[in-house]
Amino acid sequence: MTNEATSTVVTEVACPLCGHACDDLSVDTAGNGLAVVANGCDRARDGFARLGGVPTNASARIDGKPASLEEACAEAARILAGAQQPVFGGMALDLNGARGAMELVDLAGGIVEHINNEFGWRASRAVQDGGGINTTLAEVKNRADLIVLFGTDAVSRQPRFFERAVWVEASMFDFDPSSRRIVYLGAGLNTAPGVSPDGRQPDVFEFDKTRMPEALSVLNALLAKQPVAGEAPLGIPLARWQELADALLAAKYSVLVWTASAFDTPQVDMNVGAIAAIARKLNVTTRCNALPLAGNDGDSTMGAVHLWQTGFPMRTSYASGTPKFDPLQNGMSRLLGNGETDALVWMSSLNDTVAPPSTGLPTVVIAPPTQKLDAEPRVFIPVATPGMHLTGHFVRTDKVVSLPLRALKKSSLPAAEQVTAAIAAKMKEVGA
Amino acid sequence: MSLIKLTGGRVIDPANGVNDQVRDIYVRDGRIVAGPNEHEKITAEYNIAGRIVMSGAIDMHSHIGGGKVNIAREMLPEDHRGDPLERTELTRSSCGHAAPGTLAAGYRYAEMGYTAAFEPAILPINARQAHMEMGDTPILDTGGYAMLGSDDFFLRMMAAKEDQKAINDYVAWTLNATQTVGIKIVNPGGISAFKFNQRKLDLDERNAYYGITPRDIVKVLSRAVHDLGVPKPLHVHASNLGVPGNVDTTLGTMDAAEGLPIHLTHIQFHSYGTEGDRKFSSAAARIAEAINQKKNVTADVGQILFGQTVTASGDNMVQYRNADHGSPKKSVIMDIECDAGCGVVPFKYKDQNFVNALQWAIGLEIFLMVDDPWRVFLTTDHPNGAPFTTYPHLIKLLMDRSFRNAMLDTINPDARAMSNLAGLDREYSLYEIAIMTRAAPAKLIGLADRGHLAPGAAADIVVYKEDADRERMFEKPELVFKDGELVVRDGRIVKVVRGNTHAVKPEFDRSIEKKIEPYFQRYHSVRMNNFKISDDELCECGGGSKLIAHACKKRG
Repeated sequence: MTNEATSTVVTEVACPLCGHACDDLSVDTAGNGLAVVANGCDRARDGFARLGGVPTNASARIDGKPASLEEACAEAARILAGAQQPVFGGMALDLNGARGAMELVDLAGGIVEHINNEFGWRASRAVQDGGGINTTLAEVKNRADLIVLFGTDAVSRQPRFFERAVWVEASMFDFDPSSRRIVYLGAGLNTAPGVSPDGRQPDVFEFDKTRMPEALSVLNALLAKQPVAGEAPLGIPLARWQELADALLAAKYSVLVWTASAFDTPQVDMNVGAIAAIARKLNVTTRCNALPLAGNDGDSTMGAVHLWQTGFPMRTSYASGTPKFDPLQNGMSRLLGNGETDALVWMSSLNDTVAPPSTGLPTVVIAPPTQKLDAEPRVFIPVATPGMHLTGHFVRTDKVVSLPLRALKKSSLPAAEQVTAAIAAKMKEVGA
Repeated sequence: MSLIKLTGGRVIDPANGVNDQVRDIYVRDGRIVAGPNEHEKITAEYNIAGRIVMSGAIDMHSHIGGGKVNIAREMLPEDHRGDPLERTELTRSSCGHAAPGTLAAGYRYAEMGYTAAFEPAILPINARQAHMEMGDTPILDTGGYAMLGSDDFFLRMMAAKEDQKAINDYVAWTLNATQTVGIKIVNPGGISAFKFNQRKLDLDERNAYYGITPRDIVKVLSRAVHDLGVPKPLHVHASNLGVPGNVDTTLGTMDAAEGLPIHLTHIQFHSYGTEGDRKFSSAAARIAEAINQKKNVTADVGQILFGQTVTASGDNMVQYRNADHGSPKKSVIMDIECDAGCGVVPFKYKDQNFVNALQWAIGLEIFLMVDDPWRVFLTTDHPNGAPFTTYPHLIKLLMDRSFRNAMLDTINPDARAMSNLAGLDREYSLYEIAIMTRAAPAKLIGLADRGHLAPGAAADIVVYKEDADRERMFEKPELVFKDGELVVRDGRIVKVVRGNTHAVKPEFDRSIEKKIEPYFQRYHSVRMNNFKISDDELCECGGGSKLIAHACKKRG
């Protein structure tokens, strides 16, 4: 896939560093790290440079002392065999990493909690409560005439959203993408990317984002032709809200963008449900779809694999031998806080920047050598990163499209799934 | 080298005209062979005297993988909690019922004697994930049909009046790129029309933007599949699913293929008239008559059975319309990537509900009135009509008239009065069941070495204990072999193996990529080269499943 036989630049590389999974990167493999030389963003450039390096001295550790991979896996197996209900956190993994993790989680009787799942499970609950009407990036790119962003600027989590899905050169359907109207709801957002190529400013409804439920109520009420109290809900003249509701009704294909992480956490399911209600009302006469932005740190990948293998979302306990899904009981921070878990496994081959929580529990970390750590875990096993050192697969934001990840540079480190397979084999050996 | 002998079983192998003959079957290294070589020792012998032997069953239409199935799983924890699957030494924990985990699906299919299942609605852009899910479905061979007909690239070609050869190249390219075994159309052009806010699309109604009709699409794609030599006829989920009076659309859709092979899927949902006080009636007789007459037509039934399930379809236009009938009332409707769409609506079929009860009767009427078991297939459109785990019950309904009539007596009386089911005396034989669940699907899809028991066939073999209660017989075979490995004994998994992935590789003019690549770059969200699934990548997605590529003989 190189430009020429002699080139060290690989083109059309898919990026696993956010949920957008841009697949047009050009990456130079010549240096020590991996250099994104075309079509990246800061997040991609930093990530490929840092994670894409090939350390020569990365070794597994037990209590901070160098150990062989085999010794480290044996120690991890010993910890898991002795644990009643280990929790598996981090979980920023690709397909095969997630597959390997699930096998070990089942064997060890654990619980999976992705780093984004504190808000992710609430978005999932909105699906379980009512569902939604959704769309995907290529539809937005070609069809969206009005894009409303609820509490998110999109770019903070998915930097190239506007570049790739909004301000594009052409749409298939005889309209000029630069004529799209952009509306932001919420304060503190980076609205500059919402300025159209010809300089048209986006509409911004500035209000404290923790008041999003009120904003959504206003819109839902106006769309239902119900009265709204006050002249200026959330300090914004009612006429502006009405104009937005009318614009949504008049649009041919409006898109309601949200991301669970941008909402006040306890409000996530309520807000997502209210956005779905807006979409349902509008679809009576026109087309309107929500666009959830997810997938960062492989959360769509981990969530999808968990779901398809076992039939349940994350926060399912395997401790009893049968899956017990209980998102209220099985959150990692609650389990740690209440002493309802007795070991922590932190797996993360795609994100090295979030440190595992400090606990008094025996902890196994399976992560890149650059993994941020607040404390030395009992066992540390460095692994290679899919999309940089390993081929792999990554499920994008919409949970529809998945991208192939390339092995761009050789690493002597094992894949996360090789580590979990070795730990599982050890556990079976000792008859756990 | 190992040589297994199955001694003295009553073999039912319709593909080879064998009907209940006592024969020994030999298996060497995963294949059926004529007998031992000179001096060759038998390494394992199973005395199966008196037992019924068939090849492994093949489900030619079952939603086992892909994004919409995963949405269905996410939506229904309350359904899945009731059917947990415990971890054992051999098997992983998972859960079953309406939208089971892939692990449970693989185990349970195998426990019922199924050794292959085909996902009938793979959105090309979602093909990679469908293969991942099917790769995590243990034991079963898998494959799928790629959905075309509402994708913008195809509709643009149609609108530009590109010739049949160009369409054929695109269809062949899609089959290769998605590693699938057939082409499916769902509500031809209707998924696209819904994106332009059309709420229905009759057979001769035009897509508001492209000006193309469903009939145009069926015609050109049935021709493409035929010309390319793809064994599996075009798989068609016709327009107007579930609409009273849709029988005319369904008959018209058959005609749209202009005599070329066409498969009408879940035809029960497309066999409705408008007679009676409630303007909803059975049109099974007209449908069965048409199938009996038109030898180019095959159909699977999509039988409904009473209870909780979930409907998961590419047909977002219809699913949006039906969302209010959902139970529990929730739904996910999606437009997807200028490619297709999906809609997921949980559904509870009730035997005392007039419409549901009549749907149940209509499905059975079709089964019993279509003469040729080679052209009608046993499906519930899992999970849309019912979960696949109801198949043994369905087989009993087909094989046992008194049981069927006893059930008929319990359903909504108005529906009973509207159905001629009580007057249908036919009982399917074991031979006919073997045709519709083995020989015929293998022939239809073009799986030369599956669905039969002659030397050279893959040793997917099922041994049943004869039981007058056909439900009991078919829900728990005594032995199941997958590629020669004993995987099930007495209805329990004894070994977990990995099945194969089937795909076809029709030839095409590679210069079509000169049109597709810039289209992807300009309008899509991924590059063409990252859309295509290579053979190596397929095996990775499939968790190491072996690719079985089937050649196609061009007819165009």
